[in-house]
Amino acid sequence: MADERVARQEVEEVIEDPGERVHVWPHLVSIELVGALIYLFLLILAAILFKAPLTQIANPELTPNPAKAPWYFLGLQELLLHMHPALAGVIVPTAVLILLAAIPYIDTKRAGTGIWFYSPKGIPITIFSAIYTAVWIIALVLIDEYLPAGEGSFGIAPYLINLGLPPAVGYIAVPIALMIFIPWSLAMIVKRRWDPDTRELMICLYSFFLASFIVLTIIGTAFRGHGMELMWPWQMQPPTGV
Amino acid sequence: MRKVIDYIVNSRFWRSIYRQSYPDTPRKRVMAVINSLALHLHPVRVPKRATRVSYTWGLGGLSIYAFVILTVTGVFLMFYYVPSVRDAYWSIFDLDTRVLAGQFVRNMHRWTAHIMVILVLLHMTRVFYTGSYKPPRDFNWVIGIVLLVLTFLLSFTGYLLPWDQLSYWAITVGAEMGGAAPVIGKHVNIALLGGFEIGQPTLIRWYTLHVIFLPLALIVVVSMHFWRVRKDGNISTPVYPIEAAPPELLEKLGKAKQVAEGDE
Repeated sequence: MADERVARQEVEEVIEDPGERVHVWPHLVSIELVGALIYLFLLILAAILFKAPLTQIANPELTPNPAKAPWYFLGLQELLLHMHPALAGVIVPTAVLILLAAIPYIDTKRAGTGIWFYSPKGIPITIFSAIYTAVWIIALVLIDEYLPAGEGSFGIAPYLINLGLPPAVGYIAVPIALMIFIPWSLAMIVKRRWDPDTRELMICLYSFFLASFIVLTIIGTAFRGHGMELMWPWQMQPPTGV
Repeated sequence: MRKVIDYIVNSRFWRSIYRQSYPDTPRKRVMAVINSLALHLHPVRVPKRATRVSYTWGLGGLSIYAFVILTVTGVFLMFYYVPSVRDAYWSIFDLDTRVLAGQFVRNMHRWTAHIMVILVLLHMTRVFYTGSYKPPRDFNWVIGIVLLVLTFLLSFTGYLLPWDQLSYWAITVGAEMGGAAPVIGKHVNIALLGGFEIGQPTLIRWYTLHVIFLPLALIVVVSMHFWRVRKDGNISTPVYPIEAAPPELLEKLGKAKQVAEGDE
């Protein structure tokens, strides 16, 4: 419990409002049982209808096109197309995990515990942050795919290299600047528009993370076909070499 | 029929298992939870709002349920799976084509593995948007992040095992990502692959991680997670700074305090 932390004034003292209490048996146990049964039923249905894939036996000589990681890493694989691999594959995910873990040490006030979206501002901030993030990411992916960089190549980094800048600018400096600028500008707009407290700012930044993860994962899964080129889902051919 | 049921539930053997009759009184309901290994993870009573499905969506519970299903189906798969480069693919092929319900159980394992990743991510998102990471639950949120990483690793290590094109090249992409780490990249790559390329050492390494090390690690960490959920006051409920608490709540709590003091 937080008692000693409260006594040392590291944590504010609060009054909890548990409301009416009910016995776990049967009020919670019955809900858990129903949930477990529904889950099991849907899983059995899925296991009957959809076969787990088993492609050709592993062949180091034959690279599938496209070669993709499991879906939950496709957001990172999408980043890999736009920046230095150390950044996309290691530094960004490590930073994300550390920042996620740091949330309760930045937003330490106890008020707002147990309430969905915290305040009347919570939902508008969430929606705005998600849309703002999605628009930025989609725009950047499109620019990086179609910006003519001369000599038949496309993309932001090749464009900058063509201007005579070292590759590190386009593959490291610009992506880092953007990954800081987008959440920072988002936070600034939210600050002006909603006058948020720390918790509302956290909602804004978590929504930025969540929207980035979802949008990048969808792009990587459904919009990257042969040669990891950008295309509509209905234009995608089955991968070759599997 | 009634008589048969009565005879069974009053028999010495049945009573030796359950000790009490159906929990239909408050006292028996308390004892039912306290006396059961599985149920005693719960408190005896919970706030009514915590049982509302629209509050938690049961996501944490479903995540651990997915883990249980993965363990059970995973043990079944282990009976047939051979972790060698030569035989792995064909053992899965045989499982799918010749073993009774082999394909079915593998489907369950595969889809639950994907679903568990989604459930854990959604659980984290639920905990975030309900502000349930705030003190005293702050460190439990960190434990939750560790569990998220363990879930990713469990899913990813399992991905290699069928030794088909899909797994081989997904792992190639993954190992290249790890290998791109600054300074330690080359060592990470060798550690992941057990050598310079994907081969038998990689397979046995990932197999061991997948079937023993990571599940045990997850059980230990998730136990801490559950323990702390209980110690930190169970499912989160709204709190008020003392000066901002609604008067009727203070009155209610004040009364409760007086009653408790009166009892002593």
